[in-house]
Parts: sequence; C-alpha cells; structure tokens
Amino acid sequence: MMKFDTIIIGGGLAGMHTACRLQKSGQRTVVISKGISLHKPDFSEYRSLGGRILMGDSVIRGEFEGGNILAVYTENLGQNRLEADNFILASGKFLSGGLVADMEQIYEPLFGLDVEYDRDRNHWFAPFDEHQGFMSFGVKADELSRPFLNGRIIINLYAAGEILAGVDPTETDSVGKILAHTEAIADRILGNA
Amino acid sequence: MYDVEQYDVIVIGGGITGLGTARDCALRGLKVLLVERDDIASGASGRNHGLLHSGARYAVNDPESARECIRENKILKKIAPHCIEKTGGLFITLPEDEDEGYGLEYQKIFIDACKTSGIDAEAIDPVDALRMEPSVNPALMGAVKVPDGAVDPFKLCSANMYDALLHGTTILPYTEVTSVIREGCSVTGIETRNTHTGERASYRASVTVNAAGIWGHGIARMAGVKIEMCPTKGSLLIFAHRLNNVVINRCRKSSDGDILVPGDTVSVIGTTSTGISYDECDELKVTAEEVCTLMREGARLCPSITHTRVLRAYAGVRPLIKSAEDATGRNISRGIVCLDHSERDGLEGFITITGGKLMTYRLMAEIATDAVCRKLGVPATCKTHRAMLSDPLVPRHSESATDELICECERVTFDDVKWAVNHLGVQNLEDLRRRTRLGMGTCQGTKCIARAAEALARAKGNPEETRELIRRFVEERWKGMTSVGWGDSLREMEYMQKIWKGRYAETAEK
Repeated sequence: MMKFDTIIIGGGLAGMHTACRLQKSGQRTVVISKGISLHKPDFSEYRSLGGRILMGDSVIRGEFEGGNILAVYTENLGQNRLEADNFILASGKFLSGGLVADMEQIYEPLFGLDVEYDRDRNHWFAPFDEHQGFMSFGVKADELSRPFLNGRIIINLYAAGEILAGVDPTETDSVGKILAHTEAIADRILGNA
Repeated sequence: MYDVEQYDVIVIGGGITGLGTARDCALRGLKVLLVERDDIASGASGRNHGLLHSGARYAVNDPESARECIRENKILKKIAPHCIEKTGGLFITLPEDEDEGYGLEYQKIFIDACKTSGIDAEAIDPVDALRMEPSVNPALMGAVKVPDGAVDPFKLCSANMYDALLHGTTILPYTEVTSVIREGCSVTGIETRNTHTGERASYRASVTVNAAGIWGHGIARMAGVKIEMCPTKGSLLIFAHRLNNVVINRCRKSSDGDILVPGDTVSVIGTTSTGISYDECDELKVTAEEVCTLMREGARLCPSITHTRVLRAYAGVRPLIKSAEDATGRNISRGIVCLDHSERDGLEGFITITGGKLMTYRLMAEIATDAVCRKLGVPATCKTHRAMLSDPLVPRHSESATDELICECERVTFDDVKWAVNHLGVQNLEDLRRRTRLGMGTCQGTKCIARAAEALARAKGNPEETRELIRRFVEERWKGMTSVGWGDSLREMEYMQKIWKGRYAETAEK
C-alpha cells in the first residue's frame, strides 16, 4: 500500500500543472501518465521538485466508498493499492483515452463517470473550420469540478482540463481557461479556497 | 478571343470510361481532346470498391455481364498488372442463408451458372476456406472459390490517362462543358469554362463522346437529347488495415454490404444501393443508417470488422440507365449502354457511353471507339486488349537523385510529387492523392500534409498557395471521417482539430 496526499491521473497540461502546484506547496503527489500528451515543461519542473511519476502506466480501476474515492490500481503495479486523500482526473478527451466513443455511446473508461454529450450524432461534427460539437463533450461536474458517478458527486475527486464537459481545447483561450481552472482546484485541495 | 481547335473526337468525362475511350481513340490514330470538369477519377471511378469482378456475382441473374466481367478480368490481369492484385475470391454460404432459400442447393445453381459463363468456380470445404482466409466468418457452411481480384481504380485511371497523353491526346482537367455546339442535326463541338480561371474556350470535333457518367444526363440535355438515367448511390467504408487476403462475397442474391475487398494496405466494405435525385449527385452524404448497415452486414463476412478502425466513408453514383421502376437500382441493367444518337435521335456526331462497371471500362471504350471510327470512316481496329498499360510513376526515378520522403503511410517521395505535377496534370493535393495515394493511409494526411503542400507548391513553383492547398485537402478528408466518427477515428479527428486549429501550435513554442 502507498499513501499520497494527491494522486493525479494524466500528465498533460492540466495534470502536470496541478501536480507542480501541489508538490511546490509541500504535498506528496504522484502523477500516473500514459505518456501520450505529456506536458514537457511542467514535467521537468515537477521532477526537479521531487515529484513522483509513474510513466507509461495507466489506472485500471478505482475503489469507492460512500461518495469518496479511496484508492486506484494501475496496470504496472497490479495489486499495489495507491491511496490518497484527493484525486485529480486529467486524462484528456478522446485522443489520450480520457473518453471513449463507440458506435452506441460515449463513456469515461476508468471509473464510468457520468458524461455529458449530445445523443444526436448529427450535432457532433461540422465542416472542419467550424466549431465541432464533440470537442466540448466531457464528464459532468459540479461547480467545484467534482464529477458524478451515477448521478452522485465524488467528494474527493476533481476533473481537470480537457476531460471536463464544456472545455474545448481548440478554442483560442482554452489554455488560459484550463490553467485558471487547475489553479482553483489546487487552491481547494490546499484549503486556500 | 476563342481558341477554336479542330479534333477528330472530343471525349467528355475524365473517369475511367472517358480516359479509356480517349486512349483507345488515340491508339487508333485519332486526334483526341478529353475534358473533365474536375480532376480525373473524381467521380464514380474513384469512389467504388476497387473490385476486379470474376463475374460470379452476376452469373445467375445477368449472364451477359458475367461473361463481360470474366473476359475483362483476364485481359486486365495481362495488360495492367501494376493495377491488379490477383487475390482470388470466396462466395460464402452462412447458416442464415438457408432460411431464405440460399443454402447449399443455391450454391450448386451458382456454380453451374459460373461455369456456363466461363468462370472457374470451385466449391471448397469450409475448413479449407478458413485456411485460405482466416478472417472469414467461421460459421460458414460452404464456400466457392472464384478468380475475383482487386484493382486500384486510381492507378488504372492514371495509367490510361498517361498512355493517352503519350499518344498525343490533349487532356484538360477542371474544364467544364458549358454548351454542346449543334449545327442543324449535328454536334460539332463544345464550349467550355475553366473552373479555376473562368477562362472560356470552344473546341470542334467530328464526333463527341459523352462519357460523363451520371452527369452524362446533363451533357445529353445540352445536346438536345434525352437519356433517362437512374442515379444510384453506393456507400462504402474503408478500414484502417487490411482485414482479408481474398475478396469475400455472399453466395446469395446481391444485397447491401455483401462484398469485402482487400486492396493495398486496407479493406473496403460495400455497398449500399439507394436511388437519389440528380441534384444530390454532387454532394453525396453517407448516412448513419448506411454506416450501421455496412458494419452489421460486414461483420457477417468478417467478424473482426466490429472492432476495426474505420478510416472513412465515401459514396459514388452508378451511371445506370433506367429500364423499369426500381427504387433500389439493384435490378437495373448494369450492362454497357452505347447510344449512337444518330440512330436513336437523328443527331449526328454524338455518342453516349454509359452503364457498365469500372473493370469493364476497356470494353466500353472499345465499343464507343468502334462507333466513333464507324462515323469517321476510319478502319483502325482496337488494340487495347493487348497493348500494355504502364505505371506512370515508374519513369520518375530517372528524374533526379534526391528522394525525400513526403508521405510515410504510402511511401510517396518528392520526385513522385514533381513527376505528378509535370506529367500527370496534378494541380492540388486531392489530385496528388489520386495519382500517388498520398494521404490515403492511417493518418489521413494529418502528419504529411504540411510537408506535401510545401512539396507540391515547390514543384509547381508557387509557394504562396501552400495554406490554401492544406485547407482544401483537410476539409475533404474531414468530410469522409464525420460519418465514422467513433473509436480510433474520433481520436484521429481530435488530433486533426488540435494540430490545425488548437493549442498544439501555442504550446510547441513554449
């Protein structure tokens, strides 16, 4: 068993940025990253701050109890339980596997979180240059960015970055929005907010 | 201001039929002009299965087509080996076919019909069929081996174009016919407009051949004659990797999604068959229902389809001639129709060639050219059944020593690009794709297209247009992906959006 203050799932912009912020504030954190969209600048900083990273690994399941997430298990660590007080899900959209679409539905593959998307496929796509409906699909969350599982909030899980419904990474101001958002999540975890 | 040039024959349409006809005419010593309103192979000729029929599919219900197919099958294997893959094919019988009267008794009828038409058809044991094609539905009860194959329609079109050019044909892409010139009861030429520059011209010829596929209906109308056509849309899906070794068909009456054709690095499932209006022919859409049908029926041929990435969807329009009321178009003659309008409508100097299939194009061209020669009083006979078609991309290697790789998926080099611009009439990235397969692979151009646009602009000596070339290409690729936007294709689509629109550009600068 391993116990951390915060476990961050995803090493992209949102995951790495939050991880750096928390690590800097004295938290013991770990980032689990498939390595697909690794955010290189923050990754270097995170390592120099002594942050732990499970590179090339992926979460395969979570353990939940009474509206909380207690632990996750990864592909490489097998039965080793990774516990934490808080969890951040920053696993991205479709490209990095944070969301999966098949012919019938869109789902969040790690925990089965509730996903917000248009059931009518005709609204998913537009001509290339225009706004694409599917680029805003994502997990449903409350105002504190906590996602829902079967309609119920997970109290100590935060969704950050592109996986959130309404965040479209092709919008011009999306980087700024994602960073501001991750700051807010870090503040909340650190008890500043 | 008009450039009036006199030809022996004008061919309207740069699909495989028009290109084949232009080549045949040129080989018989005629002075030929071919006009195409878009690029060559941009209509039905580039939007099909790429199936080299053995004829078996038509053996029971349309023996004439079956005989045409097997004859042309053998000829094409000889004259255009670089366009053909001799895969062989299977017609399989599944348990559910029995209930509908297409069980193993039907298989016997099928084999007999094949033999009558001269098609080698041999029933093989399901165990052997599975060994021959490990991806075939293992539930099969019976299988018939036939000499089906795969033909690369783009290579076939450019080979015909190239040979026609070598024999003195003038080919004008992006040139649409605005009117057909009539003098009394004769067609004497055409007026055209260049769709890029808007430039107008007129050309004269003793005979004009209407080989415009489904758009031949409109050309005929310009000439003042009427052809009743039946525009029938066929939709297809391309898979991201090659699923099967041999062509897989169902041994039953033709239906939706019952042919899986392997070709190069991919496999194609098709088709559907839906009657549409003439207006819809220019903006074909593959519907969600069609995609579902193709996926469902395809899984019966090859179950692993279900979890294979679909690269894109596309559709073409069959230029079928109306014979009876039939909403689906399945029962309309797919045979070759050559109309000499002097006999039919009292209009001299005008011939329509339509119907047929991609792989019977040579025969269609022969029939049309025979008609042209009769009109011109030229005694020359057809040579295309033995005159080899060469691969236009082969001579490029002599051009220069540098060979920078542009498209990794399809191994297209800068020399290919330069050759295609200088010798094969390439103007934009879509044209380049049709000549070289650039951008047809797994990444659908996401990775190579900036490089390709730069290379193309460099080869054309016009670096300013790079951006516009990319925009047009990406938009076209995108259209084909939207109807199959799930699974890995949706991941690719997100990647495309991010590369071309999103913050990847910004973060890369950090």
